[in-house]
Amino acid sequence: MRRPARPRRLLAATTGIVALGLLLAGCTPAGPNEPAGEPRSGGTLTYASGDAEPSCLDPHVGGNFPQALVSAQYLESLVSRNDAGQIIPWLAESWTPSDDGLTWDFTLRADVTFTDGTAFDAAAVQANIAHLQNPTTLSSTGYLALGKVKTVAAVSPTVVRFTLTEPDSALLESLSQPWLAMESPAALERSQDENCASPVGTGPFIVQSWVKQNAITLVRNDDYVSPPADAAHAGPAYLEEVIWRFIPDSASRYAALQSGEVDVIDNAQPDTIVQAKQSDSIEQLDSPRPGAANRIELNSGQAPFNDVRVREAFIRSANVDDAVSSLFQGTATRSYSALSSVEGTAISNAALFDYDPAAAAELLDAAGWNETDADGYRAKDGVRLSVEFPVSTNQSIPAEQSVFEQIQATAKETGFEVNLAPMDLSSWYAALASNDYDAVSAPYTKVGPDVLRILYHSDSIVPAPSGYFANLAQVNDPEIDALLTTAARTTDTDERSSLYADAQNRILEGFYLLPLYDQQNHFLLRGDVQGLRTLPTVAVPTLYDTWLNR
Amino acid sequence: MSDLEVQAELATQAARSGQPRRLGLAEATAGLLAVFLLVAAVTPQLLALGDPLGIDPLSAFMPPTGAHVFGTDESGRDIFTRVVHGTQYSLVIGAAATAIGLGLGIVLGTLAGMLGRVVDFTVNRFLEVLFAFPGLLLALLFIVIFGPGVATATIAVGLSTAPGYARIIRAQLITVRSAAFVEAATVLGRTRWQILLRHILPNTLAPLLVLATLGIGQAIVWAATLSYLGLGAEPPTAEWGAMLSAGRTYITSAWWMSFFPGLFIVLTAVTATVLGRSIDRRMRHA
Repeated sequence: MRRPARPRRLLAATTGIVALGLLLAGCTPAGPNEPAGEPRSGGTLTYASGDAEPSCLDPHVGGNFPQALVSAQYLESLVSRNDAGQIIPWLAESWTPSDDGLTWDFTLRADVTFTDGTAFDAAAVQANIAHLQNPTTLSSTGYLALGKVKTVAAVSPTVVRFTLTEPDSALLESLSQPWLAMESPAALERSQDENCASPVGTGPFIVQSWVKQNAITLVRNDDYVSPPADAAHAGPAYLEEVIWRFIPDSASRYAALQSGEVDVIDNAQPDTIVQAKQSDSIEQLDSPRPGAANRIELNSGQAPFNDVRVREAFIRSANVDDAVSSLFQGTATRSYSALSSVEGTAISNAALFDYDPAAAAELLDAAGWNETDADGYRAKDGVRLSVEFPVSTNQSIPAEQSVFEQIQATAKETGFEVNLAPMDLSSWYAALASNDYDAVSAPYTKVGPDVLRILYHSDSIVPAPSGYFANLAQVNDPEIDALLTTAARTTDTDERSSLYADAQNRILEGFYLLPLYDQQNHFLLRGDVQGLRTLPTVAVPTLYDTWLNR
Repeated sequence: MSDLEVQAELATQAARSGQPRRLGLAEATAGLLAVFLLVAAVTPQLLALGDPLGIDPLSAFMPPTGAHVFGTDESGRDIFTRVVHGTQYSLVIGAAATAIGLGLGIVLGTLAGMLGRVVDFTVNRFLEVLFAFPGLLLALLFIVIFGPGVATATIAVGLSTAPGYARIIRAQLITVRSAAFVEAATVLGRTRWQILLRHILPNTLAPLLVLATLGIGQAIVWAATLSYLGLGAEPPTAEWGAMLSAGRTYITSAWWMSFFPGLFIVLTAVTATVLGRSIDRRMRHA
């Protein structure tokens, strides 16, 4: 998508940014609180995350959501995205694609240094892209997003040129993500273990220490100058210090918030959100993640789901609506799309996902699963219709695990045996890597509809250097491949949207996935926490504008 | 058995005797509970007709009422039905784990107590190494290696209780071995096997019945612990520990989800303990 280059000089534009930022904070739902006077500097904020503790604080390595949550406080990207979905300047002031879309020149801010004193310049960008593309980094998310980037060259200290193998309509969206954030090249030269423990960026906070299984301590970067164009203020952050804790148990996390032991929690459970609505001292911030919706992928690469009729039968036999309304108590809306509702290009088709056990039974009969075994499950040639469903307990909140249990119970009525296997993250990755699954729910967040290419293009069945492959439904359809490849090269907005619409329709009609709801991203915060918002890129919170009214 | 042997054995037993007691209130209650639990384990359908896994999303999170005496869980499953059906898991795991622990304990203890110094030394050092780990840690280690599940949890609990039993059995064997009636049998020229089978084992194993009853209570608590940690029975299985774990999430809004499974874990463990103590007292007085 071509955008007009917007040259911008910080000093001249600061007043404008502040005014715009205040306006945005005042009129968008991003900030849950009413402005409570002038922001005050100082204080320590304690954040309690329910996501898994990252094994590496450098989001280049692997590249998952827990890393993005914390790294957004100390790392910054070349560009960002505003609430309207438009790409806005960040560490890059402007950018110009060539007419053939194969060369992109980014003009960088000249006044930014990394917190270790290294200058942020074209060479630094080059080093970061090289780090992401180096197989030994074991990057998954960043590596996949840079698939079309052939070379990166420094034209001048402030101009960096990306040369692509083919046009990439998602390049800016990809670069806006926290997994492709800029780190100090000097810091990247250290060993991976060292860089994982204390990555160095340009962000408003600095990683001071990390006590594993306990907390990460972040301190304010007093020399900070580079907020994204949609931030509410300029200069250093208000908070002096951030304690980033991990409290996996949702009831304990909420209790810690209630007692004031922590100030912000993420991954709030539906029942606590409902409770918090009645509390005067707790506010909430709901910010669905972009990219893919939460969905169950059906592994079409092996039996029984290599037969489209069995996939459709499974989807028709799962009563998702009742599960969502009982377990999420109105805090989540059922999705009928492969994409998040925050993506403007999302296609939704409710008719494909009706709960219809009678139709499911007919489909199974037609597919040859017409025997019934001693336990009441369907079978074919003496083999039971079993669905192995590994569940990552780190990536699914308990309410979601209960949704899976209800799907297990309703699918059983049609004759599916669903074997739910709750496991920790590393066992779960191992189960996926060994193709030991028939159904799986794997969150995937990427800015923009290009996530469809990552999730459903046959190229994504090939594992990234980290060993992870994103096409867990193992969709291998030349027509879908062609649509996604063309869309990813098409820079015309309307044409691109229409190609993605065709691709989505074909994916949905192939019954490769069962959409559940948007990736839930509810935050609960103490009433005196002001100015918390999420970055519109991947909806991770940023504590840059946050201050404590106490 | 010769007269001499009988006399010696009787004399040993007489030394332990006192006044037998009458059935107390605690014992009577424990007995009734034990009957209830056994019925629940063998024929749960007698007490609760429903399907412990049957969901009813529209009546989720119902507090205890006439229709659902223990309330319902997050998927509208009836908690009374689940608690009753869960008895089976807990009792079977508890009994099987105790049997494994006791079986291993008897083998190790007998080896140590009967086969001379070298074996005794070896077995003892081995037991000491096992004792260095808290029992539950040993169970966790086993599960990490062999993967979670009901069978592994049962074996894990059994293995981790074995060292304790082995110690007690060895000590008991050594005491009995030096008793007057064993000396008598030796003097009368009985072989080592005859003495072991006819005198030593019967006198060693009787106290084990007490230990086993007490052990079942502990094994049930441990098995529930493992399920609570997500290492035993997998949700939505109607197992008390797993139910407790599922209820934990909703403890501030739906207390009944964790209260009733917890109550039954406590009641079962207390029942086993009270019965064990009671058998112990009766055997001492017999």
